[in-house]
Amino acid sequence: MLMQLTVSGLSQGAIYALIALSLTVVFRATTVVNFGHGDFVLGGAFGVYVLVVMLGLPFLPSAIAAIALMFACGILISRGFIDPIKAGPHIGFAMMSISLGYIFRGTTRSIWGREVLPMPRVFDIPPIFVGDLVITGDAMIISGTVAILLAGFFVVFYKTSIGKVIQAVYQSERGATLIGINVKRFHDMMWGAGLAMGAVAGILIAPISLLHPDLGAGFLIRGFAAMTLGGFGSLGGAVAGGLILGVTEQYAGAYINTALIDITSYLVILVVLVVRPSGLFGKRAVVRV
Amino acid sequence: MNQETPQKKRPLSQNGRIFYLVPLAAALIPFFANDYLQFIVNMIMVYVLVTVGFNLVIGNLGQLAFANTAFFGIGAYMTAILMTYAGFTYELALVGAAISGGLAGLLASVTALRGIRLYYLAIITLAFGELMRWVYIHAEPVTMGTDGLPLPDVTVFGMSMHSETAKFYVFLLITVLVVKGTSNLLKSRVGRAILAIRDNELTTASLGISTANYIILTFVWSGSVVGIAGAMFAASTERVFPESFGLTEVIVHFAMVMVGGAGSLIGSVIGGVVLTALPEYFRQFPGMEELFFGAIIIAVLLFLPKGLVSLLAKVSPLFRERYFRE
Repeated sequence: MLMQLTVSGLSQGAIYALIALSLTVVFRATTVVNFGHGDFVLGGAFGVYVLVVMLGLPFLPSAIAAIALMFACGILISRGFIDPIKAGPHIGFAMMSISLGYIFRGTTRSIWGREVLPMPRVFDIPPIFVGDLVITGDAMIISGTVAILLAGFFVVFYKTSIGKVIQAVYQSERGATLIGINVKRFHDMMWGAGLAMGAVAGILIAPISLLHPDLGAGFLIRGFAAMTLGGFGSLGGAVAGGLILGVTEQYAGAYINTALIDITSYLVILVVLVVRPSGLFGKRAVVRV
Repeated sequence: MNQETPQKKRPLSQNGRIFYLVPLAAALIPFFANDYLQFIVNMIMVYVLVTVGFNLVIGNLGQLAFANTAFFGIGAYMTAILMTYAGFTYELALVGAAISGGLAGLLASVTALRGIRLYYLAIITLAFGELMRWVYIHAEPVTMGTDGLPLPDVTVFGMSMHSETAKFYVFLLITVLVVKGTSNLLKSRVGRAILAIRDNELTTASLGISTANYIILTFVWSGSVVGIAGAMFAASTERVFPESFGLTEVIVHFAMVMVGGAGSLIGSVIGGVVLTALPEYFRQFPGMEELFFGAIIIAVLLFLPKGLVSLLAKVSPLFRERYFRE
C-alpha cells in the first residue's frame, strides 16, 4: 500500500516538478513570477488535443508542434507584454502574467464552454508488476520523459555557457549587458523555454486526465507549492519539492481524507511560508538595505 | 491677490462637497429604475466597496496581496451563518461581517509582517483564498456546500429589506459612510504614513513611524471594508455560493482597481462603477468574462498605468489638483 502510493505519488510529482522547474526558469532568468503559468501548461494540453483529436494528426508531431507553439507564445509574451512595462512597479508583472493566463483560459472556455474533453489514450504500455507493486505504463512514460528532460536541463544549466549566462543575468542585468549579453533576447528565450517546458507537462497530463479550462489554477498552485517547498528559485529544490508534494498528496488522500488531495498544496504553501520561508533547500534571503 | 482666487472660483469643489451630490443624485435612481437595473445598481455599490478595500492594500500600501476574495467570501458567509444559526438581525450580522473581515485582514497582515512579501505574499494569500473556498465547499453541515447557503429574511431595524429599492437605500447609506470614512483615513496622518511605507518602508521606519502598526491597520481596514461588501453581496443575492469567491473573482477585483487607478480612492469608486455591470452582460457567454477582464488589465498596464483617474486629471486641472497624486 505504502509503496504503491509512493510510486503513483512520484509519477504525479514528476509533473509537478516539471511545472515548478519551468516556473523557476522564468523566475531565475527574469525575476518575474509567472502567475499565468497554470494556464500556459494547459495551453500545451489543449494544443495537443486540437491537433490529435480535432485534426487527426499523430501524437508525436502534434506534441512537438504544441511545444513549438508555446515557445513562440513565450517569446511573444516577453517581447510584447513584459518588456514594455519593465520600468513600472514590480506588481505590474504579476498582474500582467495573471491577465495573460486569463486570456488563455477565456479562449479555451469560449471555444469549449463547460464541456470536459476526454483525450484518447496515446500509449498502450502494459503495467509492470514488481511483487505486489503495479507500475502503470503512464507512470513510466511520465517519469521517464521528465527524468530525461531534467537530465538535459541540468546539463545545460551547469555544464554549458548558456547556464553561465543565466547565472550572470540573474545576478546583475546591468553587469550582463556590460559584458555583451543581449539581455532582452535572453529574456525572450527564457520565457520561451519556460512555456515550452510547461507545455511538456501539459502534454504529459493530457492523455491521462479530462481536460477543462479550470485545471490551470490547480497546476499553478501545485507548481508554487513545489517551488516554495524546495526553496523559491532553487532549481534542484523545485524538482525535489515537486516529488515530495506528489507523494504527500497521495498519502494525505489515502490515510486522512480524499478531499485533502485538493488542498495539500495550499496547506504546504501556508505552512512552509509561515514556518520556514526559505523552504527545504533554499538559502535564507538577505535583504540589502 | 492670491487669496481671492480659490474661494471665488470653486466654492463647491474646494471643500470636496461636490461629492455629496453624487449620493444625493444616486438616491433618485429608484424612481426610474426597474428591478433588474436596481439590482445592478446595488451590485455596483457592493463592488465599489470591494474595490475601495482592495485598493488600500494594493494601491496605497503597495502590497501584492490577493486575499481580497477571501475577505469578501468571509464577510458574505459570516453574514449568512450569523443570520441562519445565531438568529442575528442583518444590521448585527453586518457588524459581524466587518469584524470577521477585519480579523482575516489581521491574519493576512501577520504574514506580511513576517517578511513574507511580494511574490510570497501573493502566493500565500492566493492559497488562503482558495483554502477558504475549499472550506465553504466541504464544511457542508454549516455552509451547505455547493448548493449554497440561503439567507433568512433580511430586515434592518425591523423593516423588511426584501425589495431592491429597500436594499438600495441601506446600501447607499453604508457605501457613503464607508467611502467617507476611508477618505478621512487617507487624508489623515495615517493615510500619509501608508503612502510613505509604500514608497520606502525603511525610510519611513527611520522617521520614527511604526510601519508595522500601519501595515496591520491597513490590512484590517481593508478586510473590514471588503467584509462589509460581502455582507451586502449576501443580502443582495440572498444565497451564498462558494463559486462566487473563486479565482475569476480575483481578476475582476484587480481590473476594477487598475481601471480606476491604483492608490486612488476616487479611482476605486470609478472602477467599481464602470466594471460592475459588464460581467452581468458577459455571464451568458462562457469565457468572455475572463477574456474581457484579462484584456482590460493588459490594456491598462500597457497604455494607462495610472488608470482612469489619470485620464480625468489630464482633462480637468481641478481634478488633478485635488484628487490625483502621481
